[in-house]
Amino acid sequence: MRKIVLFSLFICSILFTQSTFALLSMELTRGVAGAIPIAVVPFSVEGMPPQNVSAIIANDLKNSGRFKVQANKQGVDNIVVGQIQQTSPNHYEVSFKLLDAFKSKGAGEQSAAISKKFEVSGDQLRQLSHHISDLVYQQILGVRGVFSTRLAYILVQHLQGAPTRYVLEVCDQDGYAPRPLLTSTDPIMSPSWSPNGKQIAYVSFENKRAGIYIQDVGNGSRRLLSQFPGINGAPAWSPDGRKLALVLSKGGTPNIYIMNMASHQLTQITNDFYINTEPSWSPNGKSLVFTSNRGGHYPQIYQINLTNKAVTRVTYEGNYNARASFTPDGNHIVVLNRNSDTFNIGILDLDAGTFRVLTNSGVDSESPSSAPNGSMVLYGTLSGGRNVLGMSATDGSVQILLPARQGEVQDPAWSPFLS
Amino acid sequence: MKLKKLLLAALLGSSVLALAACSTPGNKDSDDEAALSDANNNRGGAQTAGLGDEDGFGQDGRKGTLSQRTYYFDYDKSDVHEDDKPAILANASYLAAHANKKVIVEGHTDPRGSREYNVALGEHRSKAVADILKSNGVNPSQVREVSYGAERLASAGRSEEDFQKDRRAKIDYQN
Repeated sequence: MRKIVLFSLFICSILFTQSTFALLSMELTRGVAGAIPIAVVPFSVEGMPPQNVSAIIANDLKNSGRFKVQANKQGVDNIVVGQIQQTSPNHYEVSFKLLDAFKSKGAGEQSAAISKKFEVSGDQLRQLSHHISDLVYQQILGVRGVFSTRLAYILVQHLQGAPTRYVLEVCDQDGYAPRPLLTSTDPIMSPSWSPNGKQIAYVSFENKRAGIYIQDVGNGSRRLLSQFPGINGAPAWSPDGRKLALVLSKGGTPNIYIMNMASHQLTQITNDFYINTEPSWSPNGKSLVFTSNRGGHYPQIYQINLTNKAVTRVTYEGNYNARASFTPDGNHIVVLNRNSDTFNIGILDLDAGTFRVLTNSGVDSESPSSAPNGSMVLYGTLSGGRNVLGMSATDGSVQILLPARQGEVQDPAWSPFLS
Repeated sequence: MKLKKLLLAALLGSSVLALAACSTPGNKDSDDEAALSDANNNRGGAQTAGLGDEDGFGQDGRKGTLSQRTYYFDYDKSDVHEDDKPAILANASYLAAHANKKVIVEGHTDPRGSREYNVALGEHRSKAVADILKSNGVNPSQVREVSYGAERLASAGRSEEDFQKDRRAKIDYQN
């Protein structure tokens, strides 16, 4: 009898954890040396919620690399407790507390740093779990969490006896709930999120030509924005969402233009016969950094002041620098850098001029993209010969790998904060 | 006997649970479907192109002839190899003599480095070949260029040999 009960429980627990599909799996390969101990006590549950809320919170905090998570509350100062009550078929009351054992009012009592109650439907439980993780993260670290943000990337599937399949996908920051936006037998590249997170611009080679499309993330509708002869590439939204920087070679060689999104009017920004590409806006909207080989054979990063068009060189480290973008504080750029043979992701302090390499795996990486709280960088890299995504903390302290369960993933972009 | 029935019940119960767990909330599913079809409605149904390399002229083949339509490049270079020029010129003659024929010249790179920068490098290669065509009697309206950068690799591997196969330009007849 006991064996049957245990067996059924075993089956149920397997089904429970597989009840949502993650295309990407998250593997923390290195965490912060001084990770903060925190207990996430499994929530008491009444009913059959389709998500294990406390497990999602525990994973979020653990995968940030900044917390050392345990299930029991002995010996830690920070404790997350909570309960879930199913009040009707698709309705759940979720309450949680972040307890600060250090601030005890008396023996056995703990003061609650956060105490909140929510009412959600079953399909909102995952989102709510990430929201709770954000609240806990911000309370303890003083920085806004990114657990409710999303990642866009290109999934590539090489199929036997069939053309290669390219999919532009969006998933939750922890790799769960992948949703395709575009499926194609022609390459897709360079996804770029609008500042409000509602649209993605990207390059598609459908119809055997490069075109820049803007697609609504919610309803999937899209429009073709640019399809001049030659290159239409590297779309980048301005911080106010009103303009798009892009690259066109209709003039003979690749130059950077800015398109006004309302009027579709184009303003040419660079005007020479070099390669100028990969524009990225400063957070104050007043300048662009971009990749150019104007200084020699290999590309470097330059910055152009959009008011007076003055151009200055930004990178001097190594022999190849490309695909730069600002961190949200505007004080650093993350960049693809080659020193001797390997392509690494690096971060350059614009004021101090100091440069730090974030990836040190000995394999090539590409396409760095900052988290909206500036704490992490997302990029493409190789693992076991396959294209996978990776994340590093901007101080180099945390390393995460996100391989796809099927196919290869590349060319990622971290969403802005989504409210 | 009772054991068997209980096990069966547990299995049935679990399968029902599995089905319930696997289904996604109705609205989101149909939204995804709508999104997919909207996203794809610009694209023609048939994915097979008109005539590829293999059609009409046979396999991309014998060096120096009309049928050799893929040309390889050295690392970081977009100079056409001397021994590829006869083949390109053969295609130029053909196109000059058949003004209704159209081609796309593709440019490609190996996967090292930054993706969009590689698109620009690929364009140097497609341009090198397209320029030879246009300088040899081919009307510019017959030639279109696309650089795929490193987005359409010829080879899945990452050895020097694989990279060499990736660095190419290709003449692709459209009709």
